[in-house]
Amino acid sequence: MKRSREQTVFMITFLAPAFLLFTVFVAMPGIRAFAYSFEKWDGLSAPKWVGLDNFAALLRDRDVFAAALWHNIVLTVGAGLLIVVLSLLFASALHRRVRGAALFRVTFFFPNVISSVAIALLWVLLYSTTDFGVINSLLGWLKYEDFGRLNGAMDVARGWTGLANLELPFPFTGKPYLIYSLIPIIVWASTGFYMVLFLAAMEGIPESYYEAATLDGASEISQFWHITLPLIREVLTVGLVFLVIGCLKIFDMVWIMDNEWPTKETHVLATLMYQKVFSEYNIGYGAAVAVLMFIVVFMASMFTLRLSRKEALEY
Amino acid sequence: MHHEGERVNTSLRLLPVLILAITLCGCDAISHRADADSNVRVVEAAFFEGGYGIHWHQKIAEEYSRAHKDEGVVVELWGDPRMRDKVKPRILRGDPPDVMLDQYLPIWKMIAAGKLLPFNDVLDQPVNDSGELWRDQFIPGTLDSFTSDGKCYGIPTSFGAWGCWYDAKLFREHGWTPPATWSEFTAVCAEIKAAGIAPLAFQGKYPYYAWYSYISVAQRCGGLPLINRMNALEPGAFSHPDAIAAAKLWQDLVRDYFQPGYEAMNHLESQLEFVNNKAAMIFCGVWLFNEMKESTPPDFEMRVFNVPAVEGGKGNPKLFNGLGMEQMLVTSDGRYPEDAMDFARYMISMQNGADMASSIGVISPLKGGCPRETVGPPLQSVLDMIDAAPGVFNVRLYDLLLEWREQVAHIALASLMQGDITPEEFGRQLDEGLVRAQQDPDVIIPPFTPYDPASLGETP
Repeated sequence: MKRSREQTVFMITFLAPAFLLFTVFVAMPGIRAFAYSFEKWDGLSAPKWVGLDNFAALLRDRDVFAAALWHNIVLTVGAGLLIVVLSLLFASALHRRVRGAALFRVTFFFPNVISSVAIALLWVLLYSTTDFGVINSLLGWLKYEDFGRLNGAMDVARGWTGLANLELPFPFTGKPYLIYSLIPIIVWASTGFYMVLFLAAMEGIPESYYEAATLDGASEISQFWHITLPLIREVLTVGLVFLVIGCLKIFDMVWIMDNEWPTKETHVLATLMYQKVFSEYNIGYGAAVAVLMFIVVFMASMFTLRLSRKEALEY
Repeated sequence: MHHEGERVNTSLRLLPVLILAITLCGCDAISHRADADSNVRVVEAAFFEGGYGIHWHQKIAEEYSRAHKDEGVVVELWGDPRMRDKVKPRILRGDPPDVMLDQYLPIWKMIAAGKLLPFNDVLDQPVNDSGELWRDQFIPGTLDSFTSDGKCYGIPTSFGAWGCWYDAKLFREHGWTPPATWSEFTAVCAEIKAAGIAPLAFQGKYPYYAWYSYISVAQRCGGLPLINRMNALEPGAFSHPDAIAAAKLWQDLVRDYFQPGYEAMNHLESQLEFVNNKAAMIFCGVWLFNEMKESTPPDFEMRVFNVPAVEGGKGNPKLFNGLGMEQMLVTSDGRYPEDAMDFARYMISMQNGADMASSIGVISPLKGGCPRETVGPPLQSVLDMIDAAPGVFNVRLYDLLLEWREQVAHIALASLMQGDITPEEFGRQLDEGLVRAQQDPDVIIPPFTPYDPASLGETP
């Protein structure tokens, strides 16, 4: 079918702004950043072509780069797994119409409307080692409160969880613990989005499948494994890719919670890149980090897609 | 119908033109900032908004603008705690503010790249009827931080002094006295701890508070010869036995007497703990008083004492880690550098020194620029420390070697304080990092004039 001239003009008109913006603000800076990675440049004096020197320097400082990459992996795997499990669980529960489903849906989605900077500041307060710190206060209460007849059980619980030997207040946002303390934050902030994503996919599954399965005596868990999960697999794959990309690109929470002074103990790839460019003014090195980060994100996304590659089920 | 189609067709053709026109108009609007009236020279001043706030600086900018109205000069001064992040992209693209104030910009890199202008011409002009030069009004040493080849690229707006702050009322109630020696210091820390108060709060989130404190202890242990070795980037300076001894004292102090959870506290959190008597003392610069003014209880008697002398140490305990701070910088890519320099001279003048001290608690970098009667008891205790000292010292590496600072010093300091490394390993990491930093052919290491121990009260 041949497009009319008007249709072509119409399409170009509406595609052009997006294409222009993408070219100017994404493609061209991306290509330029790639070129910077072969230059030594402080952003102030004239750049010098140094070939692969920046990548060699990265290799020389591999402990910092490896630590940053490791922290990204910890966040991707640690937070990612929890998010997938929880969001599937919640979406499934809402899909099966638990009591108060509408309220839960709003509640779980709520953190998504808060900016990540505000989330980071909120959790800095929650984790605080001062009297403002709700989590440390709660831990203190659990550790020292007299629970009467439950004291025996509490002592066992305290010993089992390590609370008995935990020195309070615990510096959750101190450098050695910050990366691990980010996991609950990311889970809290992101689960709602993925829950809504998976729930939308679940809502598309015909109810008759579940009715038939129920008649055949399939349990709720069995229905989830054999009906729900296979039929939302494509959306699940998209969600996983989003998650991997998001966790590998994380910046703002680390930057805020470490008060803009991340070190090897707290760096992720994006903060390392930023620090190299804007604190040390080593733009070539920072661009080299960015190039490797792009490769890591690209490979991780491909790997995730490949893992979940299967023929789509139609229903 | 045909005509209708033609109208739609014509409209569609005009749409890209319309979008392009709107886009170009937007670009044009963005590219023309300020100065709509070409007779007005708008000097943009971007200041770091830290412990001293920004209101006083803005008041001075308004005063200056009023006084120079006829010449058409207007100073637009804005401040932001994140000022650094905002101006960095502008510096990179060659469109910086005319004058900036920030200690943690890459000043040496900017000097090397010709992005900053020297103040020499302005410094060497008389500022009063007696013909006194502006340069001669500064406290000796305060212009040295960013002077290279005789050219001074940074005008300090404050005189920084590092000390240990305490609440005199709390000390009086418990019968504690400000310590003069390290053993007295640890003894009073032990008494404070026994009284159920944390001896020392600390800004654990910011490694530079640890740096200034460690350097202070290092001078007490090794004297100015050790500080000279560090400033001269002498191999093994941080592994010198005196430097190791200082690292050990610092590590022991952190382990035994720092407030639990200090690692997770930023400057405001830890300083709040201090002014609320949850912790009895805190190491900090002069800005502490003003930074915490709004949160300090009225009966809190904030005072400072100099870092205690170390028994057997070689350093003069009357000296302190001090320098000209909060540098004003004039950019070569700015539009009105001469006006910017004139504004800097106006701001840091004897006439404004007393007002600066009484308004925001800044000790002027000018000699006699902070009359005692203009400040309250907290800053008077700082003036006592200054008056008692024959001079000051500092270690320039922190501003000089940015990568070393970020990737070596901060990590090593944090590891030392957490007890993850020994003082010896700490020294080794700093020294090895310095060797690596000097291998960079682009690193700038201006000549260093060593401190004269004898003239500053230290005997070999």
